[in-house]
Amino acid sequence: MPHFTLPLGPQGPVLNAVVAVSNERSAALAAAGQSVPKPLPIRALVDTGASTTCVDPSVLTALSLTPTGIVLLNTPSTGETPHQAEQFDVALIIPAPVGPALIFRTIPVVASELLAPQGFHALMGRDILDQCLFSYNGSIKLFTLAY
Amino acid sequence: MALERELETYRTKLPELKGENEGRFVLIKGDQVIDVFSSYDDALKAGYTAFGLKPFLVKRIDAIEQAQFISRFTDPLALKQSA
Repeated sequence: MPHFTLPLGPQGPVLNAVVAVSNERSAALAAAGQSVPKPLPIRALVDTGASTTCVDPSVLTALSLTPTGIVLLNTPSTGETPHQAEQFDVALIIPAPVGPALIFRTIPVVASELLAPQGFHALMGRDILDQCLFSYNGSIKLFTLAY
Repeated sequence: MALERELETYRTKLPELKGENEGRFVLIKGDQVIDVFSSYDDALKAGYTAFGLKPFLVKRIDAIEQAQFISRFTDPLALKQSA
């Protein structure tokens, strides 16, 4: 089972990832004679408190994405009533220091504001963790992701 | 917000869509339900193939939609207030 281990930082389990246009959108761009935006390197926080993966709008804008979904979203700021949040289809690649990367060629993500000022651009939620084994070893300040 | 018309179509058509389509993915353009697919990827591919870069909605069919949840503060106003 491919895996990697990284140090826990001050913000917790943060890792490098790459966000790109999904395979399906890439094909549509090519069919329209448009260039495909270059993939963007980001920092992502592994967040078991997020049911879905979220990406800062600045990243989605840089990829010239438009929403293809709408979902109900609860955050601490929404109170008891969830609000409608735009969903985007992207590709997400999590490179491993050694061995194969964890690759999602098409995955829906929710736009979530103000992640970048917190030092990361995405919350890697349980939709991704559902396909992984995640180990948080606080005693030696390391975390491991196997997939 | 984008896709408001498509979302309204989903709400209107949900009584017809739910049941045997529960958990599948519907592709909607404007006020038209285009088709229902067993996977998100298939619905998305059909949407881009049919409509290119024009707006369309792909949505999981749920009789009662369960909201996604983020436990972190991501609202700009909430962040400013807590600073």
